[in-house]
Amino acid sequence: MNQRRIFITSLTALSLSPWQSASATPSEAMQAMQRIVGNRPVNTGRIYFDLPPLVENGNLVAIKIAVQSPMTQNDYVKAIHVIAEANPLPNVVSCYFTPLSGKAEVSTRIRLADSQKVWALAQMSDDSFWRTSVDTVVTLSACTEMI
Amino acid sequence: MSRSSRAVITLPKTAKRGEVFEIRAIVQHEMESGFRHTEQGVRVARDIIREFVCTYNGKEVFRSELHPGIGSNPLFIFYAKAEQSGSLEFKWTGDDNYLTIVKHTITVL
Repeated sequence: MNQRRIFITSLTALSLSPWQSASATPSEAMQAMQRIVGNRPVNTGRIYFDLPPLVENGNLVAIKIAVQSPMTQNDYVKAIHVIAEANPLPNVVSCYFTPLSGKAEVSTRIRLADSQKVWALAQMSDDSFWRTSVDTVVTLSACTEMI
Repeated sequence: MSRSSRAVITLPKTAKRGEVFEIRAIVQHEMESGFRHTEQGVRVARDIIREFVCTYNGKEVFRSELHPGIGSNPLFIFYAKAEQSGSLEFKWTGDDNYLTIVKHTITVL
């Protein structure tokens, strides 16, 4: 084999195989959600989830999640979880609030490995769950590239 | 020995009682996902921050569990309710004995 052929085969062997195995599936994302929720019902809505519909660089994607809540001792948002369907690990981040937070809102920057659906799941102090999802298209993916 | 890195917190110096103020916390960290490979095909070991906690006069305000899906130099923008003058502590813990603690004071008017 000439140098070029060796280069190409090694590229295929190295880059493609970990690529294919390193992505979660929607059902894995559902399982990740199930682990948080257990067998309690999940409602849809109530969450404001800001994620750009078109992402140029998946390495750093700014997101903002907010849930309307009075944030009192008896009625507050306990947690917000972010779950990505096509990332190598579906769990992205879990944020926990207390009545001292004053506002159930958080902004952070996440990685997206591919175009996919991203879920935000909120747990209230009465243990009810709410979720919402955003579909996004990622042109340059993160996480799995060679260095 | 624990590893540490630079962290920058942005929050107001003073706040009115009952006011909800914004806190921005950013810390310098690669957040090596553990899913990347070198050209030789060797997997790069995971090295991430696992947890971030903010406490206000010893009481928890905000806590976050981080996974490899969080981008490098993790930034969190969140809120706290001003109750009493005192100190806020920001603590990041992670792989390979990573620990960064930053403290700030706030005056409640």
